[in-house]
Amino acid sequence: MRFENLLKKMLAYPKIILAGILLVTVFFFISLKKNGRMETDLDKYMPQHHPAFVYSNEAEKWFDIKDSIIIAVENKDGIYNSQTLSKLKELTKALEAMKEIRKDDVTSLYTAENIIGSEDGLDVKAFYSKIPQSAQEIESIRNNVRANDMVYDRLVSKDETVSVIIARIDDDMFSQDFYKNLTSFVKKFEGPEKLYVAGRPIVEGSMAYLGPKDMKKMVPIVLLVIVAVLLFVLRNFKSTILTILVVFFSVIWAFGLMAALKIPAYAVSTMMPVMLIAIGVADGIHLFSHLHLFMTHNTKTEKEDAVYNMVKEMWRPVVVTSVTTAVGFISLLTSEVYPVKYFGLFTAFGVMAAMLLSLLLIPAGILVFGLPKLKKKNLAKERKEEIKESGFHESASKFILKQKPTVLIVTLLIMLISSYGMTKIWINSSFLDKFERDSDIVLTDKFINEHFGGTSTLNVVLEGKEEGIVKNPEVLSRILKMQTDLEDNLTEVGQSFSVADYIRRMNKVMNSDKAEFDKIPDSRELAAQYLLMYEMSGDPGNLWRVVTEDFKKANITFQLKSDNSKALHAAIDKVEKYRDFFNSKGITMNYAGSGYKGLVFNDLILEGQIKSVIISLFLVIGLLSLMFKKFSIGLIGSVPIIITTVISFGLMGLFNVPLSTTSALLASIAIGIGIDYAVHFIERYKIYASETGSIEKTVKLTMLHSGRAILFNAFVVIMGFLVLTFSVFPPNRILGTLVSLGMFTSLIGTLTVMFIMLHHLRIYFKKMK
Amino acid sequence: MKNNLTNNKMLTIALLFIFKANGLTADNLNGLQVVQKAYNKPEPKTQQAVLKMTLVSSSGGKRERILKQFVSNNGKTEKKIMFFEKPSDVRDTSFMNFSYDNGKPDDQWIYLPALKRVKRISNDSKGDYFMGSDFTYDDLGDRNPNDDNHQILKEEILKNENCYVVVSTPKDKNYMYSKTVTWIIKDKWLVMKKVFYDTDGNLLKTLTMTGHEKINGYWIRTGSEMINEQTKHETIMKLSNIKVNVSIPDSYFSERRMKRGIK
Repeated sequence: MRFENLLKKMLAYPKIILAGILLVTVFFFISLKKNGRMETDLDKYMPQHHPAFVYSNEAEKWFDIKDSIIIAVENKDGIYNSQTLSKLKELTKALEAMKEIRKDDVTSLYTAENIIGSEDGLDVKAFYSKIPQSAQEIESIRNNVRANDMVYDRLVSKDETVSVIIARIDDDMFSQDFYKNLTSFVKKFEGPEKLYVAGRPIVEGSMAYLGPKDMKKMVPIVLLVIVAVLLFVLRNFKSTILTILVVFFSVIWAFGLMAALKIPAYAVSTMMPVMLIAIGVADGIHLFSHLHLFMTHNTKTEKEDAVYNMVKEMWRPVVVTSVTTAVGFISLLTSEVYPVKYFGLFTAFGVMAAMLLSLLLIPAGILVFGLPKLKKKNLAKERKEEIKESGFHESASKFILKQKPTVLIVTLLIMLISSYGMTKIWINSSFLDKFERDSDIVLTDKFINEHFGGTSTLNVVLEGKEEGIVKNPEVLSRILKMQTDLEDNLTEVGQSFSVADYIRRMNKVMNSDKAEFDKIPDSRELAAQYLLMYEMSGDPGNLWRVVTEDFKKANITFQLKSDNSKALHAAIDKVEKYRDFFNSKGITMNYAGSGYKGLVFNDLILEGQIKSVIISLFLVIGLLSLMFKKFSIGLIGSVPIIITTVISFGLMGLFNVPLSTTSALLASIAIGIGIDYAVHFIERYKIYASETGSIEKTVKLTMLHSGRAILFNAFVVIMGFLVLTFSVFPPNRILGTLVSLGMFTSLIGTLTVMFIMLHHLRIYFKKMK
Repeated sequence: MKNNLTNNKMLTIALLFIFKANGLTADNLNGLQVVQKAYNKPEPKTQQAVLKMTLVSSSGGKRERILKQFVSNNGKTEKKIMFFEKPSDVRDTSFMNFSYDNGKPDDQWIYLPALKRVKRISNDSKGDYFMGSDFTYDDLGDRNPNDDNHQILKEEILKNENCYVVVSTPKDKNYMYSKTVTWIIKDKWLVMKKVFYDTDGNLLKTLTMTGHEKINGYWIRTGSEMINEQTKHETIMKLSNIKVNVSIPDSYFSERRMKRGIK
C-alpha cells in the first residue's frame, strides 16, 4: 500500500512532523486572529440573487418597506392623561433624534395626523402638539382617536391602556449596542407606565447575537466533558491530550482557512466546533483503542512496532470514515444559501484536517513522547477483564443474533412509527420560537400582539401594467375584500393596511363622517381625486408606502400575530385565491418583506437540506461500495444512518419539534458521523473474516475490537452533546438532543440491524460456504 | 493658467474676508436687504400661465400634471386659482389658495368634480408641501424674510449671472430647515439656486432655476427643479403661455368659479 508506506516514511521524522503541524496551526491561528470576523448583518445570509429576494428587495425600495421596532407604553389606568401623553411625545422626540432612525420613520399618537371631515371642509390636524391639561382637551383627543380607524386599534389599544410608538429602521442600522442604548433609554421613562420594546429587528438581532454567544460559552464545557469522558474511556492522560489536540487543531485549521480566505463566520458556522469535536474524537478513540489492544497482547512491544501496527491496521478505516463524513458535508454545497455552503465546505475541510492530524499527530506524538503507559500491575487484570469483556461481547452478539426476528420486528415497528411521525413534521421559520417561552422578547411580543394587530408583517405587492390601475374601483374593492377576508377568517392576522384604507377613509371624511360612506367609491375619478386631495392636504410620504406614484403598484401590509411559518402560509394561501382576479386585470401578485424573505430563506435551506441528504446518502453508498469493493456493503453500511435519519425526523414529528435551519442541518451530521460506526465495524469484520475464516470468531473479535471502540466513541460524543441540552438558547438545546439521539440510534443500528444483516447474508464468507 | 486660478482663489478668499468683516456687499447691502429685495421684487398684478409639474420618483417613475393657473396679487393678499387638465382622472379638479402678507395661515379650497363639492382644507400639522411636490409653500416664495437671520457669504458668478450667496438661519429653531443657502441674481433679484439643510444639518434639497424670462418688464421664473437629495425625489415645474397684467376680476377667485372651471 503506497499510502501506508508514505505514512511510515514520514513517521521516521516524528519531531519534524510535530513541528510542521504546530507551524501550520500557528499560521491558521494568526490568520484567524487577524482576519476572523463574525457576520451579523442578516441580509448577508440571504441568497441575494434568488428571484424572490431580488423582487422583495425591489419592492422594499418602491414602498420604502422596513421593519419596525415597537415601543409600547402601558398605563393600567388608561393613557389619556397629561403625563402619559407627555411621555409619548418625549419618547417620540427622543426616537426621532436617534441617529439610527430617520425622523419621518417614527409614528406615534404624537406624530399621527387626524383627518377630520366637516360639512364645509377637511381638517388635517395633529391629535395634540402641546401637552393637553384640561379634562376637556384630553376627552377630545380620546374622541378623535376613537373616530379614526387609522389610529384606533393601531396606535392606541381598544381598551385605551396601551399606546405604541413605531420606529421603522433600516436593516443595517440595528446593532446590539443600539438595542442596549434603546432599552436603557426606554427604562428612564418607566413608572407608573410600563414600557415594552419589541419588533422583528430586535428578534433577529438578538438571535444572531445570542446563538453564537451561547455557543461560545458551551463549546469549552463540551470540550471539558469530552476530555473527562476520554480520560475515563482511554484511561490515559497522554492519549486524551493527543486526541483532544487533534480536534482542537482541526477546529483552528478550519476557521483559520476561512479567515485566510476572508470569509466571515456566520451563525451556522458556530456549530462547526461542536461538529468537529464530535467527529474528530472518533479517529483518536479508534486509534488508541487499537493500540491498547495491541499492547495488551504484545506486552514487550517497542513503541515503533506498536505505532506502525496501529497505522497499518487503522489508516484505512480512519480515511474511509473521514472521507465519507466529509462527503456528507460537501453535499451541502448544493444549498443556495451561502452560509450553509461555507459550513459544509469548511466542516468537510476540518474533517479532513482531523484525519490528517490523527494519522500524523497521534503516531508522531507517541513516537516522541512515548507509548501511553499501561499500568504493568494491572496488565494481568486487564487481560482478565478483556476475557470477561470478550465473554460479554460474545454473549451480547450471540444474544443479538438469537433475537434476530425480534430485532427486525422492533426495528420495522420503530421505522413505521417514525414514518408516521415524519408525515407530521412541519417547518418553522419563526425567529421568535427560537427563544425561551418566558424570555422578555417572547413575553413582550405576546403582550403587544394581545393589544394590537400583530408584530410580524407580510407584504403583498400588486403590480399592474396600466398606469393608474390601482385607482380602479374594482381593483380597490377587491383589495379591501382580501383584507377583510384575512382579518376576519384568520386568527393570526390582526390588521392590514393598503391604499384602499386611505380612499375609504377619505370617502367617509368627505361625506361628513357617515358610516355608510366607509367604502370604496364607485368611480375611478373620485378615487383619483381623493388621492390628489390627500396628497395636497396630508403627508404624501405615508401614501407612497402603500402605492407607487404612478399608481401601477400597490403594497398591502398584513400584520400577523405570529412569525411562524404556519401563520405565514395560512395568510399566503388565502391571498392566493385573489391572484386570478388580479391577473385578469393585468396585475401580477407577489410577496415581499422580511417575514416573507425569512420564509423563502427557510424553505431554501430545507430544500437544500433534503437534496443534500439524498445526495450524500447515494454518495456514501457509492463510496462504501467502492472502498469495500462490494455493492452490498454500500447498502448494508448505510442501513444504520437511514434508520437514524428516519427516527430523528420521526421523533421530531411526533414530539412537535418543527424543522428549522438548525435541526435540518442535523441530517447531514447524523449521516456524517453515523456512517463511521458502520465503516469501523465492517472493516474489522472483513479483516477478521479473512484472518480467521470462521464466522463465530469473526463476530467475537469484531465485537471486541470494533464494537468496543464504537461504544466508547458513541459514549464520548453523546456525553459531549448532552451538555448542550443545558444551553439557554433553545436551538442549541435541540441540536444537543438530536445529535445525542442520532449517535445513539446509529450505534444501536450498527450493532444490531447491520450486524445481523452482515451475519445473515454471510458477507465475506460466501466463498467459504 | 494654474497661476491664474490660484490668484482667483486668493482674490475670492480676500473678498470673502472683507465681506465677512463688515457683512456688506459691494453695493452696501446686508443679507436681509438682499433677501428683501428678492422678496419684494416687482411682481405683476396678475399672471396666468400653464403649469406643467413633473414628479419624478427615486425609481425614475414620472407623473405629469398640467394645470392652468391664475394669480392676482394686490400686495397684501396673493390669490391663486388652479385648474387641473391632466391627468385625466382629476381633470377639472380645482384648487384655490389665498396667502396673506400679515402672517395669517393660508386659506385653501379644493373642488372635486366627481363629488361636485368644494371643500376647505386646513393642515396645521406637517410641512405644508405644495400638492405633494418637493416644494413647500415657503420654498415657492412665501417665506417672510424677517423669519430668518441672513448673512452674505460671498458673491459668485453662476451660469453667467452675478449672484449674492446668502446664508439664512431660521429664528424659530423648530423650523423644518436648519439653514438655507441662496444664490440671488443681482439686479434681477431672482433666486438662481437654493440649498436646504435639514434639522440635523444634513443636505436636504437643492432648488435650481432652469429658466427665466423678462415679460412686460417683469423678471419671471419659468422653470425650476427641486431635488430632494435624501429621497432622490424630484419635482420639475415649467410655466408656459405666460400672460401678465391681464385683468382678472377679484370675483374670479370664488368657489363658484372653482366649480365652473375655465370653460
